[in-house]
Amino acid sequence: MSGPSGTIVSAGGLSLPPRAGRRSRWRSRGSLFLLVLHGRPSFALGYVIVTAVMTCAILAPWIAPYDPVTANPDVYLSPPGFSHWLGTDNTGMDILSRILFAPRTDLTIAVLGTALSAMVGIPLGAIVGYYEGRSLARRTFSVLVMRAADVLQAFPVFVFAIALVAVFGQSIISVVVAIAFVNIPIYLRLMRSQVLSIRGMRYVDAAFVAGSSDFAILRRHILPNAIAAALAQLSVNIGWSVLLTAGLSFVGAGVVAPTPEWGSMIATGYQNVTTGQWWPSVFPGVALGLTVFGFALIGNSIEVMADPAQLRLVGRAGKGG
Amino acid sequence: MQSQADLMPPSSASPSDPLLRVEGLHVSFRHPVDPPTEALRGIDLTIERGEMVGLVGESGAGKTTLARAIMGLVPQPGRIDAGTISFRGQVMADLGDDALRAIRGRNLAMVIPNPRSELNPVLTVGEQIGNVVRHHLGLGRSAARAAALDMLKAVSIPDPARRLDAYPHELSGGMAQRVVIAIALACSPAFVISDDATSGLDVTVQAQILDLLRTLIRAKDSSALFITRDIAITAHFCDRIVVLYAGEVVEVATVDTFFDRPTHPYSLMLLAAFSHSADLRRRWTVPPDETLPGAGEGCVFAPRCVRRQPRCTSEHPALRRLGDARAVRCHFPVGI
Amino acid sequence: MALARYILRRLAFVLPQLVGILMVSFFLVKLIPGDPAVLMLGPNATPDAIDGLRRALGLDQSLIRQFAVYIGHVFHGDLGTSWQSTRPVVSDLIERFPATLELVTLGLSLALLIGIPLGIAAARAGRGPLRKIGEAYGLLAGAIPDFWLALVLIYVFYSTLHVAPAPLGRLDIALVAPPFVTGSLILDSLLAGDLQALGSALAHLVLPVATLGFINAGPILKMTQSTVGRILASDFIRYAEMCGLPRRVVMRQAIRAALPSIVTIVSVLYGFLIGGAVLVEIVFSWGGAGQYAVQGVLNADINPVLGFVVFSAIFSLIVYLCVDLAYFLLDPRTRG
Repeated sequence: MSGPSGTIVSAGGLSLPPRAGRRSRWRSRGSLFLLVLHGRPSFALGYVIVTAVMTCAILAPWIAPYDPVTANPDVYLSPPGFSHWLGTDNTGMDILSRILFAPRTDLTIAVLGTALSAMVGIPLGAIVGYYEGRSLARRTFSVLVMRAADVLQAFPVFVFAIALVAVFGQSIISVVVAIAFVNIPIYLRLMRSQVLSIRGMRYVDAAFVAGSSDFAILRRHILPNAIAAALAQLSVNIGWSVLLTAGLSFVGAGVVAPTPEWGSMIATGYQNVTTGQWWPSVFPGVALGLTVFGFALIGNSIEVMADPAQLRLVGRAGKGG
Repeated sequence: MQSQADLMPPSSASPSDPLLRVEGLHVSFRHPVDPPTEALRGIDLTIERGEMVGLVGESGAGKTTLARAIMGLVPQPGRIDAGTISFRGQVMADLGDDALRAIRGRNLAMVIPNPRSELNPVLTVGEQIGNVVRHHLGLGRSAARAAALDMLKAVSIPDPARRLDAYPHELSGGMAQRVVIAIALACSPAFVISDDATSGLDVTVQAQILDLLRTLIRAKDSSALFITRDIAITAHFCDRIVVLYAGEVVEVATVDTFFDRPTHPYSLMLLAAFSHSADLRRRWTVPPDETLPGAGEGCVFAPRCVRRQPRCTSEHPALRRLGDARAVRCHFPVGI
Repeated sequence: MALARYILRRLAFVLPQLVGILMVSFFLVKLIPGDPAVLMLGPNATPDAIDGLRRALGLDQSLIRQFAVYIGHVFHGDLGTSWQSTRPVVSDLIERFPATLELVTLGLSLALLIGIPLGIAAARAGRGPLRKIGEAYGLLAGAIPDFWLALVLIYVFYSTLHVAPAPLGRLDIALVAPPFVTGSLILDSLLAGDLQALGSALAHLVLPVATLGFINAGPILKMTQSTVGRILASDFIRYAEMCGLPRRVVMRQAIRAALPSIVTIVSVLYGFLIGGAVLVEIVFSWGGAGQYAVQGVLNADINPVLGFVVFSAIFSLIVYLCVDLAYFLLDPRTRG
């Protein structure tokens, strides 16, 4: 902890946490957002893609030309054309309709799984980071949690996820749990390192000397300043979880056909690719890749907005100088 | 390694040119949202051959920015808006990257403060000194190592032969400072900038290092710019003093005249701050008047000036010459 | 000796982790619904026969005892039998692990060849177009599903252009594999002097290696770019610039300083890919260890899964030991 109180007094202006009033902060966040989008137009693309995918998910029943799970054997494997814009698969289901419905499954799983892992990992990581180097009991607790995270992360991710799905039975909830499990260590580590670095700041020492409780310090001083990195990670992770969901479904350990889902659609078209019918696999893959790309862009934009050094680069790029 | 002659453009320098001439230098720092911050506003400065000049001013006055601009390395996101810097009659901005690199470290060297993180953590002290002489003087590996050993001896590092193979993390602050001096002086540069070179050290070590620096610079017949916040240092080590305030030169004088009869109210405030007389300090120091507008209109020092007149807040003073080698930027200089 | 102590400390750290991994995977797989005895004997088996087999397999014992027995066997090199292949898991894995290792090693090498030069170029480029290309590549490679890219490559180079072999394993069906020595078809066919097998093995490797290389170059590129970029902005590089060292020397120092981070990301990727390449293995019917484990999970065949986990954990252990060795050589600060 801090030295004699003299150090804190001499820290003077540094003892205040870098928080302005709530309202002005949000107003400046808004202009910051526009500034970043202006400086890096590609970030806007990320928001456009994700909005579009979400819109598809919501409006799918109205904009999809066919029912996504009705097979029409008369038109199986028909190439992209007027009646089926993106063609049909080997059972005769319309690929466009299935692609439009798929984010309902994929995004739901990914968002739920990521949210679950963040809800467990962020508070746990914050506590572990805050407790590290404190009393023996707290230190033991944080060491135990970190070793457990080590063990979890030492697993081959994919095999671990498949095994989890196998344990809980093949269902959407199992996939959500599996995704949450493999992501928890990421948030745990991220928050821990953030908190560890912020905990060393003078304004945290000052709050401690002023007699704030541990919980109050965590909530008022540490979390608000550590959360940006976690938010950036959240967005990137949703994209990554979509990939994992699709991968699980691809090997048959995730969502099962005929539920519209990008990974299982790619798997359905797998045999046809070798014989030259590319469309059942290629189109869902494009949709999947675009979605992940969009979330990654959003994650990057959050990261840039939270990092003054990167913001400077963006600002200059925006002014063309 | 290319020979130095190829890299150096033919010098048009005449013996009457000063070693370094800075004219009307403006440097500002860009910011994504706010207007740019002006760090230097029209700096004029000349340094003659063999001269030692002290540059004093408080933190944020622009001392380091000026030093970095002279080195041709304005820190990001700053940039030079106007003005020229010429070294030995050669305008630095006209030189290409390679030519600048050939001058930097060879003829124009800088001693930096707190050098622990500036030294490359994975190279030994000998390699780092050796690198500079190898690339600037074209020495071979073994000759460079010998030169590095000589330099370590010259900066009086204890047990120099062993330190040659030490890594930066194995050095104390004072030793690291000596190593940086060794690197700066290894090629016998014509001009050395010492940027607050001793600020992180104990007072006893400070004096040793500064003495050493001055002795070495004099021995190599070089010029130097001593940047410091400690005005006492300049009294001991310099021929002339330049006082910087908020990015402007506010007073230039020889050391003798400056300490004898300072003319700018800020100079007096600086001197009073170092004096033992509480009365003197009280006389020359006022709390800054926050209601006055900052720079732009009037004198940049007006808000903190004890001798402020209405004219000071409306008209920007020019740097006026007061006889030989003496200039002040004040409408109402003291004692004139 | 410092190095030995370093490695011992690392081992002391890793062994409990290995046991932890075994424990988690053992209980996890035990939780998988489906009785191996029922699965092995088929739906028509009598309850008596099932009971007998359960006893023979030790399934009637308590879980803790089963685990203790399992750990004992593991340390004697016995990973049990796979009921699917009815062979010892160790010999199954020894056959399959090299296939995965060969694929992953080559894929990662390709990723390094793409990622490191691009990353360095992007970091040097400042805000130029190269930086944009680097960023776009990093994002794209992270967004494209590897199994999908594999299918697209198969469609283009096998189904359409007919230049790649069918995605059905590591060798032409018509060819006889060279005698098993290392398990790597490239090495084994070279050892046997079988050029036909070598050519076929290389041809089969092209598409999966390209898939893994393209995808995994993304994180390597990002890491290289951000690390080199950060180091180029660091104090000691700024100081090297101040010393006027030539651009290539400064760049070499920056890359040297970035190496530990790059080594780290490569080691993490290497460990990850042993299990992470399974989707690509499945697409190309590679018959590697990852595919073996996935089939094990899907068919309630516990021993292959556990065996795979043990193998990849040991592999990661070896990789991390090599990384520590590399750190030891790269960074003098770890030698204290």
